[in-house]
Amino acid sequence: MKQSIWRNQRFWRFFGQALVVVLILAGLAFLGSNLDRNLRQLGIRLGFDFLRSQAGFSIGDTPIPYQSSDSYAWALLVGLVNSLRVIGLGIGLATLVGVSVGIARLSDNWLLRQLALFYVETLRNTPLLLQLFFWYFAVFFRFPPVETPLRWLALTVSKGGLQLGELRVSSEFTALLLGLSFYTAAFIAEVVRGGIQSVPQGQWEAARSLGLKPGQTLRLVVLPQALRTIVPPLGNQYLNLAKNSSLAIAVGYPDLYAVSSTTFNQTGRAVEVMILISLTYLSLSLLISLLINLYNRSVQLVER
Amino acid sequence: MVHQPIIIAEDVHKWYGKFHVLQGVSLTINAGEVVVIMGPSGSGKSTFIRTFNALEDYQQGRIVIDGIQLSDDLRNIDAIRQEVGMVFQQFNLFPHLTVLQNITLAPIWVRKWGKGQAQDTALQLLERVGILEQAHKFPGQLSGGQQQRVAIARALAMQPKIMLFDEPTSALDPEMVREVLDVMRSLATSGMTMVVVTHEVGFAREVADRIVLMDAGMLVEQATPTEFFHNPQEERTRRFLAQIL
Amino acid sequence: MNSWLRKNLFNTWYNTLLTLVCLLGIYQIVTGVGNWLLTQARWDVVATNLNLLLVGRYPASQIWRLWLVGAIGVLLVGVSLVRPRLQPALKARLTPLLLGLWPLSLVLCFWLIAGGAGLLPVGTNLWGGLLLTLLVAFVSTVLAFPLSVVLAVGRQSTLPLVRWFCTGYIELIRGLPLIGILFMAQVMLPLVLPAEWRLDRLLRAIAGLVLFNAAYLAENVRGGLQAVPRGQTEAAKALGLNTPLILVLIVLPQAIRTVIPAIVGQFISLFKDTSLLSLFALLELTGIARSVLAQPQFLGRYAEVYLFVGLLYWIFCYTLARVSQRWEKPVASRL
Repeated sequence: MKQSIWRNQRFWRFFGQALVVVLILAGLAFLGSNLDRNLRQLGIRLGFDFLRSQAGFSIGDTPIPYQSSDSYAWALLVGLVNSLRVIGLGIGLATLVGVSVGIARLSDNWLLRQLALFYVETLRNTPLLLQLFFWYFAVFFRFPPVETPLRWLALTVSKGGLQLGELRVSSEFTALLLGLSFYTAAFIAEVVRGGIQSVPQGQWEAARSLGLKPGQTLRLVVLPQALRTIVPPLGNQYLNLAKNSSLAIAVGYPDLYAVSSTTFNQTGRAVEVMILISLTYLSLSLLISLLINLYNRSVQLVER
Repeated sequence: MVHQPIIIAEDVHKWYGKFHVLQGVSLTINAGEVVVIMGPSGSGKSTFIRTFNALEDYQQGRIVIDGIQLSDDLRNIDAIRQEVGMVFQQFNLFPHLTVLQNITLAPIWVRKWGKGQAQDTALQLLERVGILEQAHKFPGQLSGGQQQRVAIARALAMQPKIMLFDEPTSALDPEMVREVLDVMRSLATSGMTMVVVTHEVGFAREVADRIVLMDAGMLVEQATPTEFFHNPQEERTRRFLAQIL
Repeated sequence: MNSWLRKNLFNTWYNTLLTLVCLLGIYQIVTGVGNWLLTQARWDVVATNLNLLLVGRYPASQIWRLWLVGAIGVLLVGVSLVRPRLQPALKARLTPLLLGLWPLSLVLCFWLIAGGAGLLPVGTNLWGGLLLTLLVAFVSTVLAFPLSVVLAVGRQSTLPLVRWFCTGYIELIRGLPLIGILFMAQVMLPLVLPAEWRLDRLLRAIAGLVLFNAAYLAENVRGGLQAVPRGQTEAAKALGLNTPLILVLIVLPQAIRTVIPAIVGQFISLFKDTSLLSLFALLELTGIARSVLAQPQFLGRYAEVYLFVGLLYWIFCYTLARVSQRWEKPVASRL
């Protein structure tokens, strides 16, 4: 019996792939040729040497020394450090608040439960950007001017920022940190709550019948098991926080995205800036995912 | 009885990676025969019958179903699947469709029947398996035994020449096994070619024309029920019977 | 009453302390905020700009058309939600009707909003505020959904090249912040498309949202696809159905049903994410709030405006979330 090529399974596998490859390549060729033509019309050549030229703009928060005469590359580095500052502290603060609120959601105190619920439902159902605007404009803008700051114990508070002894942080940084952390904490709270509730009721009963008090049961029996369910979505929230930190531009905090955006506005280098942003955020995401995966493996149960 | 081979499997080999799951199995089944395949778990019996309708492929050997060679040719596979019906251990009914829709789906879309014709056939089959009143319910609302009977009706709706059964009663509560076996019994009486993988010894004894024992990917022995149960030739067959009887 | 108080608020010493501290704190905050809300806050900024915030610069005389669209939407959604609970006979007659009504009303609503052919045309540059937010979220989801199904199916494909491409796309998009993707859409799309195709800012933003959303939806759909037991495909294959038929008749209907809560969750996220368009000079709800705040007579009214706008967002998101939870239950029990 003659085998028709149209009916051969193996043929379709090969053909299917070939077709997809052709379509993708054709698409990319189309986009690429347009890009080439448009760039040529604008007189722009692709290349990264613009990074060496003078930046010419100032940056508000400078954790590492920076002047406007420094290069774009250095400015971007400052942006990156700023991003890392807010992401690192944000993850810490969000976890602290989130875990507390998550546990509070399951408290036997009715009032505490309702307060926690109110917190979660309010922050989760409004956009982060709006919350950042609110923090910055409705809260920090109302601080007294720099010349007449408010003093409380060792803390000095003004529109310019907060100062505790030698440590100084800008209003922009604080507004972003608080907005980002409290927002993410609301989601972390739900993750923690879900994780704790996923531990079978029998575990609580066994612990209680052994005489353990609720706090001890939570700490020694339930939470360690809940961690298995909690860690992956928790890692996801950390990733979200890292990505959401890019909203810093809305409150004038010079993070990586904000500095990149300014760089683009000044140089018109769309493709290069886009590549830099993508590579950096992807690397950051990968790093966080890796760390979470490592931790996740360590909390898995040992099974037969 | 005229011996008309409808399934011919010659020296079939299959590997899952390094694991040699079928080791040169050869079996011929005639039209109208009821063959029961038994064996310990992991013997490859399910894998073997699943090669008959190309749910599993094989690397070496030859399988011919109703004169059609089983190969990479899609047209052959399609033709074979229309002639071979299968009933699964887990029923695998489509939960988002009613019982009636489950049965009429393939005749409408594969055999291109009209809706009226498909529905008439479906209702007749439902009556034949004894659950006509469940026609408009969803699978989730039926008991296990009822679901499996729907599954049998669904396979029969395609008017197959061969029916494969892969442990059809293993997932059922004991009190429902009987109703399904009764349907299979009546099917056998009507002359359908059936290949049944099962542990149900009573069914095998009463209904099978031939019983085949598989173990560790090999066909160990085949005989009539009387011969198989009372006068097994192979040592492995004797060991197996000692475990199940 | 007394026993409830005792059990829930005052059962142990630390709970009692906690309750008292909380009550004190709540009292302080509520009186402080309440005082501000009622005496110091000046709400004329919201009252004067209500139209602007809700529908942008849509001509006031034509707003009745928007009310009509709202009514149609509510009616359709209401009937669709009620459908699973109906009697089979009624449901059988209703279903094809609904299937036809949905696309028809979509076209109808679009005509009502945009105008032309009998109605006064209202250009897209006049659409703003909550109206624009809803439109953008809706259009982006509708466009992203088919793309996400393609990506999800492609990600499971047995053809390695297809699988790599889909996985690569999904992982790339999910690793980047939305603002970055919107930036790329604004800046890169004019560069990679022929100069003659002039896409305005709104279209570029929607394109960015679609590409972004499709990657996240694809993961939801993939979860749904994986939840369909393997036996379903096997049974369908055994009956002689070919691969496209199996996908359309058996796998996708089951996958999508499982996945609807996640899809609604994604829509809620998207609804909030439209606020980012304000950073690209588009006038959806957040953007128009900022332009209201830039008016000289309302300088400094941040709290009032942001609270009001926040309330609008909250009402939508909260309602959608509740409705989705309610709808989940009857579907799950039937399956």
